Amino acid sequence: MAGALPIRDTARREDAPWLTLKMREAMEAWLFISPTLAGFLIFFVGPLIAVVWYSLTEWNLLTQQATFVGLDNYSDALFRNPDFWHVIRNSVIFAIGLVPLNMALALSLALALSGRFAGVVIFRTVFFAPVVTSAVAWAIVWKFLLQGEAGFINQMLASIGIDGPNWLREPNWAMAAVIVTRVIKMVGLNMILYIAALQAIPRDYAAAARLEGASGWQIFRWIIWPLLGPTTLVIMVITTIGSFKVFDHIYQMTGGGPENGTLVLAFYIYQQGFQFFDVGYASALAMIMFVVVMMLTIFQLVLRRRDT
Amino acid sequence: MKTTMKRMTTTVLALGMMSGSLGAAELRFTIWTGNEAHLKMLNGFAESFKAKHPDVTVKYETIPPGDYTQKLTFQLAGGNAPDAGWLMEDAAPTFAAAGVLDNLAPALNKAQGYDFADFSKPALGLWTAGDKVYGVPFSTSPFVIFYNKDLFDKAGLEDPNALAAKGQWNMAKFQEVSKKLKDATGKWGFEFKDGQGYDTRIMHALMPPIRAAGGDVWANKQCGFDKPEAVAAVKQLHDMVFKDKSIVPPGEQGDYFSGGSAMTINQISRASLMPKAGFKWGIAPLPTGAGGESPVIGQAGIVVFSAGKQKELAAEFVAHMTTKDNVAAAAQFFPPARKSVLDSDAFTKSNNLIPPEQMKVVADAISKGKVLPAHEKSPQILAAMKPRVDALWRANADVEASLKAVCTAIQPLL
Repeated sequence: MAGALPIRDTARREDAPWLTLKMREAMEAWLFISPTLAGFLIFFVGPLIAVVWYSLTEWNLLTQQATFVGLDNYSDALFRNPDFWHVIRNSVIFAIGLVPLNMALALSLALALSGRFAGVVIFRTVFFAPVVTSAVAWAIVWKFLLQGEAGFINQMLASIGIDGPNWLREPNWAMAAVIVTRVIKMVGLNMILYIAALQAIPRDYAAAARLEGASGWQIFRWIIWPLLGPTTLVIMVITTIGSFKVFDHIYQMTGGGPENGTLVLAFYIYQQGFQFFDVGYASALAMIMFVVVMMLTIFQLVLRRRDT
Repeated sequence: MKTTMKRMTTTVLALGMMSGSLGAAELRFTIWTGNEAHLKMLNGFAESFKAKHPDVTVKYETIPPGDYTQKLTFQLAGGNAPDAGWLMEDAAPTFAAAGVLDNLAPALNKAQGYDFADFSKPALGLWTAGDKVYGVPFSTSPFVIFYNKDLFDKAGLEDPNALAAKGQWNMAKFQEVSKKLKDATGKWGFEFKDGQGYDTRIMHALMPPIRAAGGDVWANKQCGFDKPEAVAAVKQLHDMVFKDKSIVPPGEQGDYFSGGSAMTINQISRASLMPKAGFKWGIAPLPTGAGGESPVIGQAGIVVFSAGKQKELAAEFVAHMTTKDNVAAAAQFFPPARKSVLDSDAFTKSNNLIPPEQMKVVADAISKGKVLPAHEKSPQILAAMKPRVDALWRANADVEASLKAVCTAIQPLL
């Protein structure tokens, strides 16, 4: 007798019969994403807009006095503050040193560790472990290893007759030291991305090429490397962005020294905002960093599009 | 729906009654210690405050010292100002100039038997301006030499206190002894404060020898680093680091507290680390120089924030915390700035780690000492100094030129 039941009673009651199905669906969708959207607007877009506004003011956090100064902060940073260009130079050197080294090492490790052989998981874990190690512990250990004479690194060098420099006390060596220690810390992440990409490449390609008589190098150069293209691009973009944003590592290892030799942009922003409490100026610098990183990203994307 | 409304109404009513009817107040007080003994003492002050204000409780909020000034600034900027708190010496001028500290003079003058004149004048320098009192120093702690008696014995040398008793504890002797210690024991002769003399403690490294030589880092808005006295003092330090190799050099670690160095400079609060050190030790005055005795003092004060909502009550509590009795009770941890307490036997006997005759060194230094230099723009000055001082600490550095560069960098900020 089920067929005799009136249909209206079993179906959902219409609360708002004037809504079309499309409108209803749209409304539901907005409601579903609203918690995330609210968080995004409040904690991301809001501060972003606020930073733009702050960057146009001279605002001392402690006195709570803010005056609108237009583009003064920007023109001061770009044209009048010699430290700013020194800082940009350091950031660029850091990125130029870090990105290729990190990527080359990540790819080499991935090539070595993408296969299946006994103990491969242990090796992968060993290289990934620094990524999840506390940055503070990492810096303390390296500072210890990199001591002038008593340091482990220099004692090793001394045993083969090399007189090592006082790594963290000479500007150029300090920059090299922070780059290399940062690469060792973060390379595991890119290695995993490369391993995933390598494992997604069907083995048939390489097998077919080998049948055609291609050498190992040729297989890598003409098959694997092009197929890794999208991954390489992603890695390049995130590593470059990461290298411009580096802060904790510098803060812990050198504090921007010696002689401002490792004073990079993110650390300089921190100094202005959180040590001198000059929030307006720090905001302007943050906007400049935002633009620089965005331009670099767009440039890499365009480069990639031209390639394909 | 109805029940929900009802519930909400009762909740709102209950909350309203709680805040209104009880009239109880809570003072929020920021500190940078988490030490149980310190907290026990501080809670004791809050308890005795109840004699006059039975409804008032005090909530102490610990912020780690490394972040203290920064986090405090954010609380003030974020409209979440504590009522009162500790303040470090290097932040005092910046905070006072920014107008975020309340004038305590009315409350201190009103407090019965307070006797503000009992505070030593030099100790108040940072905290007063004319008739206004922006803070009451609660810790006036001189820098002293901590020495490892075992290493001195091993090297067959007289210890600094013995030398001081004979009037021979001067900078020349300090250099000579450091070198002998290094040569005889293989350990470093001297380590800067907490091993941070080339990084976060630049001032603590350079200041005492410069003052001993009769100079100063700056005075009356004039940079003093490039004056002859300062240059001579820093040259001597430079020689000790790079020629004698008796001071722990930059980039090297030589922990005094684990026996890696024979001497260091620090405040007596560090004595709490010594029972675990496992060697015989002592404290001695700083070596004298051409400028005679010139003890250096580090300070911290108690302040009330202008943005707080219970300023009068907070000021009254500060007065209570710094009465003669309470200062005397705190003296075991925090050397006092009150002359009456400083001169008392109770003070020299207050620290069970340091023998009374060595505590006399501390009391002496407080009454004769000068506080570390502070400035409204301290953070900027230190940041401007840092790269130039880095250049100074190279083996082949031209000390005089480096110190000139320091002055060129900081003079506009002074």
